[in-house]
Amino acid sequence: MKFTAVTAACLSLLSTACADSNVNASASSKIVLPSTFKPAQTFKNANLVHIISLEKNYVKESINVLIENVSPEPQDEYFLPFTSEQMEKIGGLEVKDRKNSDIVGFTVDAVEFDVSSDTQFYRIKLPAPLASKSQQTLGISFYYLNALKPLPASIAQGDKQYLVYAFSAYCPSAYPTLKQKTEVKLPSSDVQEYTKIAGNGETKGFPVIQGSKLTYGPFPEVPAGASSPVKVRYEFNKPVIHVSELERDIEVSHWGGNVAFEERYTLFHYGANLSSQFSRVKWAQSQYFSPQTSALKEMKFVLGAGSKDAYFTDVIGNVSTSRFRANKREAVLELKPRYPIFGGWKYPFTVGWNADSNNYLYKSEGKFLLKIPLIEGPKQAEGVEYGHVDVRVILPEGAENVKFYTSAPDSSITEHSVDIVRTYLDTVGRTVLTIKARNLVDELRDRELIVSYEYSTAAALRKPFVIFSSTMAVFVGIWLLSKLDVSFSTK
Amino acid sequence: MAVAEGARLTPVELLVSLGRNPTTKTLLKIIILVLIATAAVASRLFSVIRFESIIHEFDPWFNFRATKYLVANGFYQFWDWFDDRTWHPLGRVTGGTLYPGLMVTSGVIYHLLRFLTVPVDIRNICVLLAPAFSGLTAYAAYLLTNEMTTSSSAGLLAAAFMGITPGYISRSVAGSYDNEAIAIFLLVFTFYLWIKALKLGSVLWGALCALFYGYMVASWGGYAFITCLVPLHAFVLVCMGRFSLRLYVAYTTWYALGTLASMQIPFVGFLPVRTSEHMPALGIFGFLQLVAFLEYVRSAVPSRQFQTFLYIGLGGIFGAGLLGLVGLTAGGYIAPWSGRFYSLWDTGYAKIHIPIIASVSEHQPTAWPAFFFDLNMLIWLFPAGVYMCFQKLEDEHVFIIVYALFGSYFAGVMVRLMLTLTPVVCVAAAIAASQLLDTYLQYKSPEVVDNKEEESTDGTSKKSSKQSTLRSASQPVVGIYTVLSKAFIAGAMTVFLLIFVQHCTWVTSNAYSSPSVVLASRMPDGSQHIIDDYREAYQWLRQNTKEDAKIMSWWDYGYQIGGMADRPTLVDNNTWNNTHIATVGKAMSSREEVAYPIMRQHEVDYVLVVFGGLLGYSGDDINKFLWMVRIAEGIWPDEVKERDFFTPRGEYKVDADASETMKNSLMYKMSYHNYASLFPPGQAQDRVRGARLPDQSPVLNSLEEAYTSENWIIRIYKVKDLDNVGRDHAAAASFERGHKKKKAIKKRGPRVLRVE
Repeated sequence: MKFTAVTAACLSLLSTACADSNVNASASSKIVLPSTFKPAQTFKNANLVHIISLEKNYVKESINVLIENVSPEPQDEYFLPFTSEQMEKIGGLEVKDRKNSDIVGFTVDAVEFDVSSDTQFYRIKLPAPLASKSQQTLGISFYYLNALKPLPASIAQGDKQYLVYAFSAYCPSAYPTLKQKTEVKLPSSDVQEYTKIAGNGETKGFPVIQGSKLTYGPFPEVPAGASSPVKVRYEFNKPVIHVSELERDIEVSHWGGNVAFEERYTLFHYGANLSSQFSRVKWAQSQYFSPQTSALKEMKFVLGAGSKDAYFTDVIGNVSTSRFRANKREAVLELKPRYPIFGGWKYPFTVGWNADSNNYLYKSEGKFLLKIPLIEGPKQAEGVEYGHVDVRVILPEGAENVKFYTSAPDSSITEHSVDIVRTYLDTVGRTVLTIKARNLVDELRDRELIVSYEYSTAAALRKPFVIFSSTMAVFVGIWLLSKLDVSFSTK
Repeated sequence: MAVAEGARLTPVELLVSLGRNPTTKTLLKIIILVLIATAAVASRLFSVIRFESIIHEFDPWFNFRATKYLVANGFYQFWDWFDDRTWHPLGRVTGGTLYPGLMVTSGVIYHLLRFLTVPVDIRNICVLLAPAFSGLTAYAAYLLTNEMTTSSSAGLLAAAFMGITPGYISRSVAGSYDNEAIAIFLLVFTFYLWIKALKLGSVLWGALCALFYGYMVASWGGYAFITCLVPLHAFVLVCMGRFSLRLYVAYTTWYALGTLASMQIPFVGFLPVRTSEHMPALGIFGFLQLVAFLEYVRSAVPSRQFQTFLYIGLGGIFGAGLLGLVGLTAGGYIAPWSGRFYSLWDTGYAKIHIPIIASVSEHQPTAWPAFFFDLNMLIWLFPAGVYMCFQKLEDEHVFIIVYALFGSYFAGVMVRLMLTLTPVVCVAAAIAASQLLDTYLQYKSPEVVDNKEEESTDGTSKKSSKQSTLRSASQPVVGIYTVLSKAFIAGAMTVFLLIFVQHCTWVTSNAYSSPSVVLASRMPDGSQHIIDDYREAYQWLRQNTKEDAKIMSWWDYGYQIGGMADRPTLVDNNTWNNTHIATVGKAMSSREEVAYPIMRQHEVDYVLVVFGGLLGYSGDDINKFLWMVRIAEGIWPDEVKERDFFTPRGEYKVDADASETMKNSLMYKMSYHNYASLFPPGQAQDRVRGARLPDQSPVLNSLEEAYTSENWIIRIYKVKDLDNVGRDHAAAASFERGHKKKKAIKKRGPRVLRVE
């Protein structure tokens, strides 16, 4: 791999942020196994708690599981099953040790064995093989995007929106589970429907409801691969924002002392559609009383302190309904789309701003370190999910030896490359680092991207020299031309 | 004042002596011209600074869309562009029916900048093209004026006038991406080259003139102005007995090459030999050949009788040519003058025969204040300048006189032709102003024979018999002696010039810098509030309707819908098919039962209307409605009648007194649908027409409201599909409303009884 670990120097400089994560940001590779592959029954789940959080407009699931090696040899490969539909929607898969946060180095890879099989696996490689009969507590967390469906699929303009989520009351596992329970956290106590299943022991039936929390379980031992499909339908009267494509450009200028950000969003509302056409009268009246609505009215971008020159445009020009507030401590960009975005509607737009490079760019041992958030989308109470994210870091002309590190989950990064882009009177072109990620959510906003590169003074002086010499060449050329006599006259 | 001596120079004298140095003069001229160009560009940026870099108004949106197409698909694709997203279902052979000069210019600039790796958006090139060319126009005016007079200050003044006069700014502010943006530069520059060619009798300059004429033809339909003015100039010169080989060479070179160049444009094609507008140029071409031949014969055969005979023969041939022209026109070989040209002679013509031309505000005759508004002080300097041309009356001055006469006439007939008058006004006014300034700003008083030191007491000008500073010795020297009169006139001129600058800035800022896509208003605290309804609705259309959803609207909004909403339209501002426009007019002005089949036949998905009643925005569709009615009436006089839209007392009303035809028309219903529910009962008001509306909003059956913008300026309706069980929409809608069902039964009840 061209991109190895960032040097110890940068780690010492950015100590805390990077300390607990893996350093090598290699693209998630798929492990190819024979099509007859089945995970060996080398583990059992001694205890499992499955928490499904539906408070945002995406699904956040976390599985805390106590695994025990039941095979005679030490084992380091734990498999996590998903349906092939879930494989498309999953994002941000991360594994930690719940007991001891010092243990780092879990790697997660998708397993490729039989494309037609409905059950697919992720393989968790433990940092150290687990000895026979010994136990370890894993905290596995991930997100499902676009997994919530509105029901009814179309509602009147003033109606409340309800979403449905289907899952299994037994946590899907490739290993037998001795004891488990599934908790569902909902945004409000307005739960219209949920599947009831038979109870055991002293509990008559599941789920047990406490406020806005539903609990299925605890269940006694369940064999590997068992499932019990359940559904929950609950009120979610907020927009279901899905950004199918986010292109984020970061342009570093050493001469200008500036870092320019530009983000292009393709935004959809995946919530319930309008059952009849949009009525301005009703909307104006509801605005007056200001009740909650499933339409997206406003977005709030919290930018880094010291950001300036923010803009908000779409394909036909500046959107005048934006407000930018900046002071020394914070910079907030508040956007109102041109029209309220209802379910099924679309609104692509662009935002951009400039920032002082002192806040993002550090110099250490002849190298430059650029430390920026990987994504900086709108901060919405209801959450935002991103299908594809394309981060382009445009470094100055002549930057070389580019390496990067990100604290975002490895499994989210699909691709990265270094290319050349020619712009603004470039001669050799600028170095561009492109990082492609999939299925991110706005909870990962705090994840960083650190880029290190070398940039010599000679490279910095190239452009002024080229412009000066070419202008001189033009002048001299014109002067020479003016000395030529091309007239026919014989004066 | 004493004559300056080398050792004891006052600062003023030092300056004066510096100004005499030719190198310094050239440098000063260049600096002044650059400053003028900067001022010309800067004064056009009001809208960019106040709003944003945005394309203005209507036609520029088409040019912008075409430019984007050119940049994306290349020149040959653009040349063969058939656009199926306009004039649905007919389409438009866009590549062959436009003047490509503007788009190609932007495209070339775009590719040049890309080649230099300057990442510039094509929109910004389009927005800033007109200001950039206005700088060049100022330079062209400088060159043209320099051909007229020896005074270099005249040229600089003309450049300054050209740079900031509102008559030209009106069509060249940033964002006004229209053909005129480059055409005025080409017009002035072609005239300059023509004068140059005529003066030198040079084939090279004639060919250059033809080249720029070709560029002009590729850019603007107004090229016909050059096509008519140059032959006219030649004709006047011949009539004045000024035929010369210089004229012959210049004219024939220009005509032959220029006509060939113009015929390369598909939209022009064979028009130069087939239409009446181009006949003067052809006729003068032939006439010049005859005159040249006669001149040759005369020089060879010096017989007076023969000469007279030849002149009679000449007249005969000219007459026969004219008769032939009339005959060919009557026979249909040469197209008679188009409607727009007729309306140049008879201002009432269009209103009667071609309402579609008359409906455009810029085709209206000019009001008198408009001259002062657009030209300010130049309008009274202009006749003085023309008079000074009469005094010298070289060939080039004849041109200015001819141009002035015709330009004035056309500017009086049509508002938009103020634009073609403006250059000659600037040139003539600069000649007059510079004459004045040159006379009164002489630092040195003319030397008088007897007394050097005399401060003139009577204040009149005196002739100087001795050598003068600038003028040739043969002319009498006119000079001013008193400092007082010098200071007075100079001061007055300075004040006039300052007022002119102030006026130009004011007019540009207030009258010509509104993008009209975006409206500005003030919040109670004085901050600017932007009313952005157009773009709100267009963006909604673009994002939330099918890619090929057909939009029906009045033709004014066709280009904007194509450019901003990117949806197919039925009619647009390229009003090439009057019947199609009349069809839309008929749909808008008819009852729903009549309009619905029309919309179905044209596969209309959405109907867009502009309604200003809530905001008090007067340029809305109800105010334009009578033009729709008139245009529809032109094609279907039996079905649409303008009279029916007025009350019996002849008033155009929208309130409860409106005529039944008006109330049932689709346009009225769409404009006021659901509007009353925004107000408390009895208070629904139309703020544009100051009318109180009935509480019951009109009922729409075959359309449903799809989107209404924040301030109700744009209202979009979706055309309902056919009813599932085969009812007509009125029945289906009344069934849906439920409470009307009873009425229907009641009505049916008695009817059944009567039959039985």
